[in-house]
Amino acid sequence: MSETAPNLIEQRGSLGFQSPPIPATVPDAVAMTEQHYFHAEHMATLRKLGDVLLPPLNGYPGSTQACAPEFIDFLISVSPAERQHMYRSGLDRLNADAQKHFGVPFAKVNEEQADTLLRPWLRVWMRDHPPTEPFAAFINVAHEDIRTATMNSQAWSIAATSAGERAPGIGWYWSPIDPDIQMYV
Amino acid sequence: MPEENVDVLIIGSGHSGGMVAKVLTEKGISCLMLNAGPIVDFQKDRELKPAYELPYRGFNMPGRLPHVFQANEFNANTWVDEKEVPYTFNRDEPYNWVRVRLFGGRSLFWSRQSFRLSDYEFKARDHDGFGDNWPISLADLAPYYSRVEEIFRVSGHPDGLPQYPDGNFVVDDSPWSGSMQRLIAAGKKLNVPVCKARSAMGRGGLASSINLLLPDAFATGKLTAVPNVVVREITVDKNTGLANGANFVDRHSRREMSVKAKVVVLAAGCLESTRLLLNSKLANSSGVLGHYLIDNIYGPGVVCSVPEARDGKATPDLMGGDALIPRFRNIDGKAKNFIGGYALNLWSSDRAMDPRNFAAYGAELQKKLDSYYGSGFYMSMMGQVLSHYEHQVGIDKNVVDAWDIPVLHVDTKYTDNEFNMSRDAVDTGVAMAEAAGFEVLAKNYEPNPPGYSIHELGTCRMGDNPKTSVLNKWNQSHDIKNLFVVDGSSFVGSGWQNPTMTILALSMRSAEYLAEQLRQKNVG
Repeated sequence: MSETAPNLIEQRGSLGFQSPPIPATVPDAVAMTEQHYFHAEHMATLRKLGDVLLPPLNGYPGSTQACAPEFIDFLISVSPAERQHMYRSGLDRLNADAQKHFGVPFAKVNEEQADTLLRPWLRVWMRDHPPTEPFAAFINVAHEDIRTATMNSQAWSIAATSAGERAPGIGWYWSPIDPDIQMYV
Repeated sequence: MPEENVDVLIIGSGHSGGMVAKVLTEKGISCLMLNAGPIVDFQKDRELKPAYELPYRGFNMPGRLPHVFQANEFNANTWVDEKEVPYTFNRDEPYNWVRVRLFGGRSLFWSRQSFRLSDYEFKARDHDGFGDNWPISLADLAPYYSRVEEIFRVSGHPDGLPQYPDGNFVVDDSPWSGSMQRLIAAGKKLNVPVCKARSAMGRGGLASSINLLLPDAFATGKLTAVPNVVVREITVDKNTGLANGANFVDRHSRREMSVKAKVVVLAAGCLESTRLLLNSKLANSSGVLGHYLIDNIYGPGVVCSVPEARDGKATPDLMGGDALIPRFRNIDGKAKNFIGGYALNLWSSDRAMDPRNFAAYGAELQKKLDSYYGSGFYMSMMGQVLSHYEHQVGIDKNVVDAWDIPVLHVDTKYTDNEFNMSRDAVDTGVAMAEAAGFEVLAKNYEPNPPGYSIHELGTCRMGDNPKTSVLNKWNQSHDIKNLFVVDGSSFVGSGWQNPTMTILALSMRSAEYLAEQLRQKNVG
């Protein structure tokens, strides 16, 4: 009679085996996101928008330092078409407005010019109910996305820890629970 | 080879299925419980993580769970995937069907707000002149509410209001914070009551069927539970017309199986139970099955700031605590453009405010967030949705789920009554906030899509007349006397209340009736 698999496992001692802690590093700590979705002009506009909306403040990284634009480039690249359209047309509009009012692309506007372009579109809103006007929706949703991508970054977490403050974005993560073993899509 | 038929087959393991299992097994009746999803292990299946360790940095995976607004990257794996179990709806009338198939169902994650319906809801037709009365009244259900409240340890304060019936509470005599006192005073000026919230404390941090109901059932030795099996249809004895079991499919292997039982109890959650009956082509001699879909309006609300709590001056005496404004419209007077009623949840927070509450950015926004920290006061609406025959679900024969089971098509929308009620709720909240001296920062009049509240109700309504209802007042099918449906699908009207306590009380009452019918050999 051949030995059963559990017996073999027991003999080799793996029943009592404790996995050693293996320190893991997130890829953002060692690498840059390969930017690929937005074209150069869009990306420059998005980077500038991030710098304006969330610059480095009080020892915390800004949008650029947290690589938020590159992350958003990835995020929008895998998003539904409606959200992709909102971003592309919003970035186009922002750039066109900058050219129209100041004769330069949005990436080149100064602080005061940026404020002139953005402030009329800032809205107060509540979760799940962003502004309905398309350009206002873009400005305000992009603002939220930039803040989330920045504040949920490891760079922000490190800054919070250094400041002796609680890092945001920590929660109970649920792993897939006995997921279906068959492909269904 | 299974030895014998079980007495009762229970499909679903949430609050209603758990209650039926507890009641029946404690009376010595053997039960088999089938659940479509796996058993969750709170220690193994979840861990604290920072968002930057997640694949999408805390954003939900784009395109995943588009109709589960509650979903985020942390909890995404707890919801039913819309690709695995799809449903359809009309293009311009989205429906948010928010589902959990884990063992214990949505009882694992509910908000724990614990209310009784009042006779303003049970006898809505008499009071409002619209819809239908339930075949029962508060007096019929009150003893069961009391027992449920004891099991779930509902904290609350007796207020003596007929529209907010008192219960068997762990009495909450905690003092009001200063901000709440100011809102209470403002409410008195406007004739709007502000009461203590009512909430299930549960035990050990959970108020679920898996810790409050099912352990008692398992302890009897009379409950057998099978996870990971998706019920395809209820089966019927061709000679008697009675239900005699179910056909189901193993979730992983797709192996088709069947089981026999003397009685079948559906507790799969409102729309899943109705879907199962529709797919089984059962219990619909009335033609009402699938109709009268209702829920609660969620989404409208107000965000305020308490000026005296700004700039680091928030104290525990001033800020903190929650409260509830129970229905006050259409009690004595008549609202000008809607019938029924709504409630407002209130909470005073000593935490950070949401940046979306300020039309600012950069350093200016940070300055505002710092200044307003700890001064937030929030109001959110829970509103009644009126029952309409044409708000319905049916089977979409062109779409099947991952187990080749035809899916539901949902056809519903909110009407002027719901929109007018929402507007009144927000305007009332603003008026109260201003009367209290609060600064109103944001308000939203727009309800979230139907279904968002996770309180889908109706579609298998109870009633005395078999021609206009699917179930009798004991949650028993008019057509098939050994078939019971004990989840929220039996509701005749929604009211403004979180329905969980009512679902639990109804399922307890139904199970006791069923046990007696089994004892008398009237069923089974």
